[in-house]
Amino acid sequence: MSSLYRLAIWACLAAVMVFLYAPLLPPLWEAFRNPTTGTFTLDNFVAITTDGTLLGALRNSVLLAIIVGIAAPLLALAAALAVRHFRSKRMIITILLLPLFIPGVSMGVSSALFFKLVGISPSLLTMATVQTLWALPFAFLIILTIMSSFDTIFLEAAYTCGSNRWQAFLDVELPQMSQGLQGAAIFSVIISFNETIRTAVVQGGNNTVQTYIWSKYQQVGLSPNMYALMSTIIIVTLLLILALLALGREQKR
Amino acid sequence: MNKTVNRRDAGLVLLLGGPVLLCALAIIVPLLLTLMISFWERKMLGMKPGFTLVSYQQFFEGARFDVLLRSFWVALTSTPLMLLIAYPVAYLITFKIKPSQTRAFLFLLSVPFLVNYVIRAFAWADLLGRQGAVNSFLQWTGIADAPVDWLLFSDFAIYLGLVAAYMPFMVYPIWLSLAGIDRRLIEASWMLGEVPLMTFLRVVLPLSLPGVCAAAIFGFVGAFGEVAISQILGGVGYQLMGNAITSALDVLHYPMAAAMSSVVVGCMLLLLLLWLRFFDLRLFLGKMLGR
Repeated sequence: MSSLYRLAIWACLAAVMVFLYAPLLPPLWEAFRNPTTGTFTLDNFVAITTDGTLLGALRNSVLLAIIVGIAAPLLALAAALAVRHFRSKRMIITILLLPLFIPGVSMGVSSALFFKLVGISPSLLTMATVQTLWALPFAFLIILTIMSSFDTIFLEAAYTCGSNRWQAFLDVELPQMSQGLQGAAIFSVIISFNETIRTAVVQGGNNTVQTYIWSKYQQVGLSPNMYALMSTIIIVTLLLILALLALGREQKR
Repeated sequence: MNKTVNRRDAGLVLLLGGPVLLCALAIIVPLLLTLMISFWERKMLGMKPGFTLVSYQQFFEGARFDVLLRSFWVALTSTPLMLLIAYPVAYLITFKIKPSQTRAFLFLLSVPFLVNYVIRAFAWADLLGRQGAVNSFLQWTGIADAPVDWLLFSDFAIYLGLVAAYMPFMVYPIWLSLAGIDRRLIEASWMLGEVPLMTFLRVVLPLSLPGVCAAAIFGFVGAFGEVAISQILGGVGYQLMGNAITSALDVLHYPMAAAMSSVVVGCMLLLLLLWLRFFDLRLFLGKMLGR
């Protein structure tokens, strides 16, 4: 392969990367800039720490991330095991991956109407349900991938040594899948933390950090404070992804 | 698989089947309820059970139908655009770079995807505005003398926003299909004297179609039900289906919101069924199902 050809390939890939990463910069730029003088400032970040509504929203976001980060991987684990043990594999997979194929608004509206009809008022619970269903397909795919690299011969060995199914699962299979489970958990947390549209439909009077930005935008437009908030979200997300990466490295060792 | 592993008992069925059933119901029941509500009547501040086609009639005769047509057109035209970028990217990272680099690249691709796309849309609005980075650059290089207006609040901005939001996600299914192709088939085609272009058209492309179609559905779904990008980058009054649905919900017109949502979901399920009809899920998720 000629070096010119190689260069062209990398130029194409680099162009795509620039296109994808460019939008991560403007919020940072706007957040650290004084809107009148154009000089460097941290005031916008200080301002968001004194906003009471926002602090409540942040608390909700963290709670939701914890709930979704626990619920989605566990449900996904159960589903992945069900795919292995049950006969209707195709149906389980199709239904659980369905949220990937349905626009977020439709999923949100359907859930909102369901909650309204059953008489469940909007709360953290409704928001957590909607977010868990959205994170589930991703967690499910991650765990399916990890599981496919596990050789069931280890389980046979455990049975031969006299363990029952529960012991074999806990002592043999689960430790081998723990990295995948952690990965699915971090992925779910990131998805929960970055969800707006589905959550906004079932939020009621509650806010998350994301729906707070969205409603501020719709009511009064974006202020430098909002850019500071977005920057914080971007930075936290990148840190979470770094954690995911560190996890992957540990797994390789 | 051996019988010992496959043996089942009531506890296992309950332990695994319970959560799975719960999830399945949580996904399907609301969608069915929405379909039901779409036939209900509207009351002042809510809805009344019944069977009427009024919501659908209003939907198809009113201005909302134009929104449906526009969404359909935007989704139909932006999807090929996304594929035109996602396919070469997936092709290059599958065949043209080292496997270790492929993993790193796929990872890099998913990083911006994980940052909320609403925030990324705000960022694009900032970049494309009259005083934004793109206009500054165009004026600095002398390509344009004055700020270019059609960059933001235009069809261009909508398509750019949609491509930026959904294209990265489309690379994965295409890569899955391409990576699953037996390399010997490509070598065989080469040995039989086919030129690279024909090998691509007659061997690689047909074998990657399941991934391409899955990717196309992802892109189509995203664009069709869009809320944020149309509102942020389309400007005042620009609506796609997602906006029409949320605005019906804002004025508490539940049966209308349900009717529009059901039409959107119906279109998606039709596409999904066609996809499942033509391609075997196991072909696509084969690796994950351990086959």
